[in-house]
Amino acid sequence: MVEDKTFGGRLFSIVNFTLLAVIALVTVLPFLHVVAGSFTTSAEMAVKKFILVPTVWSFDAYTFIFSTNTIFRAMAVSSGVTLFGTLFSMLTTALMAYGLSRRDLDGRKAIMFLVVFTMLFSGGLIPTFLVVKEMGLIDSYASLIIPSAISAFNLIILRNFFQNIPEGLEESAKIDGCSDFGILFRIVLPLSMPAIATISLFYAVTYWNTYLSAILYLNDSAKWPIQVLLRQIVVLASGLEYSSELDAAVPPPDQTVKMAVIVVATLPILLVYPFLQKHFAKGALIGSIKG
Amino acid sequence: MKKKKSISILVSVVLAFSLLISACSGGGNGGNNNNTSPAPGNDSGAKTEETAKPEEQEKPAEITIMLPLNTAETPPDTIKNEIEKLTNTKLTYQFFPADTYEEKLNASFATGSLPDVTYLKNQATFIQMKEAIRDGQFWEIGPYLSEFPNLGKLKEEILNNTKVDGKLYSLYLGRPLARQGMIYRKDWADKLGLAAPANVDELYAMMEKFTIGDPDGNNQADTIGLADRNDLIYGAFKTVSAWFGTPNNWGEMDGQLQPEFTFPEYVETMDFFKKVRDAKAMNVDFAATSKTDQINLFTSGKAGVYIGSMQDVNSLVKDLVKNVPTAVVDTHSMVAGPDGQFATWSIPGYNNVVLFPKSAVKDEAELKGILAFFDKMMTPEVANMMYWGKEGVHYTVQDGKAKAGDDQELTEREVKGFKDSVIGEPETNGMFEGFHDLPARIHAEQLVLENEKIAVPDPTAPLDSATYTEKGTELQELIKDATYKYIYGSIDKAGFDKAVEEWKKRGGAQIIEEFNAVYKP
Amino acid sequence: MQQTVVQQARVPQPRTSELKKRLWRNRWLYVMVLPGILFFIIFKYIPMFGLAIAFQDYKPFKGVGGSEWVGFEHFERLFTEPDFLTILVNTLLLFGMNLLFFFPVPIILALMLNEVRLSFFKRTFQTLVYLPHFMSWVIIVSISFVMLTSDGGIINELLVYFGFEKINFLLSPEWFRPMYIIQVIWREAGWGTIIYLAAIASVDPQLYEAARMDGAGRLRQVWHITLPAIRSVIIILLILKIGDVLELGFEHVYLLLNSMNRDVAEIIDTYVYTAGLRQGQFSYSTAIGFFKSFIGLVLVVLANKLAKKMGEEGVY
Repeated sequence: MVEDKTFGGRLFSIVNFTLLAVIALVTVLPFLHVVAGSFTTSAEMAVKKFILVPTVWSFDAYTFIFSTNTIFRAMAVSSGVTLFGTLFSMLTTALMAYGLSRRDLDGRKAIMFLVVFTMLFSGGLIPTFLVVKEMGLIDSYASLIIPSAISAFNLIILRNFFQNIPEGLEESAKIDGCSDFGILFRIVLPLSMPAIATISLFYAVTYWNTYLSAILYLNDSAKWPIQVLLRQIVVLASGLEYSSELDAAVPPPDQTVKMAVIVVATLPILLVYPFLQKHFAKGALIGSIKG
Repeated sequence: MKKKKSISILVSVVLAFSLLISACSGGGNGGNNNNTSPAPGNDSGAKTEETAKPEEQEKPAEITIMLPLNTAETPPDTIKNEIEKLTNTKLTYQFFPADTYEEKLNASFATGSLPDVTYLKNQATFIQMKEAIRDGQFWEIGPYLSEFPNLGKLKEEILNNTKVDGKLYSLYLGRPLARQGMIYRKDWADKLGLAAPANVDELYAMMEKFTIGDPDGNNQADTIGLADRNDLIYGAFKTVSAWFGTPNNWGEMDGQLQPEFTFPEYVETMDFFKKVRDAKAMNVDFAATSKTDQINLFTSGKAGVYIGSMQDVNSLVKDLVKNVPTAVVDTHSMVAGPDGQFATWSIPGYNNVVLFPKSAVKDEAELKGILAFFDKMMTPEVANMMYWGKEGVHYTVQDGKAKAGDDQELTEREVKGFKDSVIGEPETNGMFEGFHDLPARIHAEQLVLENEKIAVPDPTAPLDSATYTEKGTELQELIKDATYKYIYGSIDKAGFDKAVEEWKKRGGAQIIEEFNAVYKP
Repeated sequence: MQQTVVQQARVPQPRTSELKKRLWRNRWLYVMVLPGILFFIIFKYIPMFGLAIAFQDYKPFKGVGGSEWVGFEHFERLFTEPDFLTILVNTLLLFGMNLLFFFPVPIILALMLNEVRLSFFKRTFQTLVYLPHFMSWVIIVSISFVMLTSDGGIINELLVYFGFEKINFLLSPEWFRPMYIIQVIWREAGWGTIIYLAAIASVDPQLYEAARMDGAGRLRQVWHITLPAIRSVIIILLILKIGDVLELGFEHVYLLLNSMNRDVAEIIDTYVYTAGLRQGQFSYSTAIGFFKSFIGLVLVVLANKLAKKMGEEGVY
């Protein structure tokens, strides 16, 4: 892209840049507080409250959470579930979204309405638990993936992206003798990389944040993902409702441990984004692929 | 069965797709080929196991236990293995985060998948479960208790508090009756020439002096008296209200049970807090302050008084002395009301119970096997193992008390998870009392015993009211709001009375009636 | 689906065979949609029998089959609840503010990000603004507390320093809504841009080229090319957001709620929690949820109709 060199264009750039820099700063400060908090002592946190650079450095919080293999195991579980879950979800979602994006598909409206309906009405925890149990998924990792395979929201968004691809492209592919599957995988998907990257990210984050299904469907705590550990520590350390009734015999974890576990549990998923980011610049493809 | 089939259909359909794709006019790009990913997830789906079917014929007895997890992670098997050896059992512990324990409990209950031994979360979940207990979903254990010498030692009055319609279904986890009192900065008090407050007026004076008297000697008005939080019960309010002579939740007035907030002492307590807050002798935002922030006020050396469980003193001191090395802290609980009388409130002696679902425990023999396990838990050997860990590793014995080992992290990881599941209390299960070296904590332990003598029980603890079970929590919010609003000065006594009337109108009157119908003074 | 059935019945031969032909031609499309449909049936529609408990006096140990039917009793209780109107109004107001003040922010932010020409800064900004999404509400609310409290919070100290009165942000009813909305913007705005950035990425660069040839400035390019390109995504998200009308983030509101601001802060979700879930009132909770969903459904149907009238495709 050519930088436009007019005065108005430059002014626009400067104002825009400055504003974004301020916004970025505001969003990053609390995060720095969490990171700094994980490297200090709870005594310092009590005094300072909001820390950006610790005066007393301490790695105790990290020593504490890394002293057993629980956190590694939980991270491995979360990574596996996120990877396989995202692939499985993307496959099923893309297939369904593409089918429903085709305007000549009879019944698409009814199906879409029924999909939207599930966003509004849900049977609740216990009936879903029954279905999962009946299917024999209890205590298997599949229980974290299959019951949440397709998100109605993601499906609708992806379908919308597919719909915006010029129909002419598909038509001509069809004439060239490509099947519906061929069109989807050889034309539609490559053209929708920004959308695929986005929806993959959404799925990945959802799987990474899996909490309640793990508690409900997995009785074996060795299979729990990272969020269970994270939340347990955050809730205990924050002295929320429940722990206020607790014994003093079980003092809550340190504030610093809370911060450290947030840092450790958040980093991996944060790293996914820059990796997907390159796909957001792929829109140029539309012009380059011949119809 | 039918649904199991449909899932395999679903998966094979998906698999078939990936084959189809590669069939399209010759080789797609590399990225599309690894679409068979769902398989690994599904492999494990095949091997479903129901909760362990306990086999009775041969020992060891197999028992599955579900309980709330109050520590960061589930403990390793170190302690479990020891308990199994000591009790000749094969145990499966299923821990679930305390925070969402109710969801798990309800889902398991509704789908008939509760294990043999089910710990509840607290008294509130017990109250919710009562309906199911009456319906016969759980074993009544009262009749068997006499067969087990150790279980027979459980305290009669506490068992009575946990009975449902006069029948016993549960074992209780004992707790000291009254642990609350105040933790305060002795060094500040000494500097300002104050003694531990003997009555509520002196308590106020202390808070005020701590605020205006510059107790930390830095010539700045940067200290406050009391650090409180958004909790009327486990925060300062209820304890102070008991000192004022307010009954514990319910009290007798003209021969009738009435809720505490209809008593003049309750209003006096509100006036007390209003006065403290108006004088800025406490954190003025206490209605929005979390426990963490409350503790921070104390450990940062800003506040001088903390009212709540006196056993919190260890964790408070730990951080305080890092920030203020010269700080000296003491505990105190004998604060007389305006009439010169001492009083404090007490819990019903337990904080949780264990139930035995009929859906998992099939017959009497099995139940007895499980009760035998709990009977052994009530011996010093087993109780100590669960509560304190291994002697020499997690604790040592000093003066006939258990002194926690130096490696606190090890104890926290390996033992704490089980600590919260020991039934009974030291007097009945024979486990060691804790050995403390912090003077303020030693004092606190003495005060807990002193407290018991002046403790006022909640007369409704063993009673039931259907309306209370259904709406009690919701209605209590009305009173809670009104109490805060009164303290903050946004309503006056008339406004508070209106809230009480509203409480009565919305179901409170019915609760009063229902409790009085079953109340025998 | 219904429509086609009607057509089949009314219209004689030629049409039907045309439909059959179309169905056969599109058979692979149906195969594609099938796993998804199975998923929705098994995991969404089968469990919906659970909604029945809204009309029952549900007891977990009796199950949906064995519990007593009570008709609309729970709905009556909800509608006659003295605070019902306040709660509903609070919920709707909060939702309205959400729509008005939050919804446009990610769009604007995405447009701004898209105008950063240096790819290094563009990526850095993107990564930074989406960070907050990964912090739980517990953390965000506790950080806000530390900054806003009148017991030594930074903001209040600054106010005093500059000669103003302290403001009781945390406890005053007037400040609850602004505080809520600012926190929502802070946490979700950056994250919300992702979807729009994806839509913007699909815009054909030749369009910009052509606009520049015509001498269009940056703002005009945004207005005439970028914005129309993401219009359909905006509409879709708007409709879905409207369907979520009463989903305002329980955890967030619950953490901000206290006795002093309850008059404005109590929303349906927090009410369900205190009145229903904490007391094990499953049927009542489900009934309230049902009511919420119903309102959402009505609004989505209306919004979708409106979108279609405006020539948009809509959600279904």
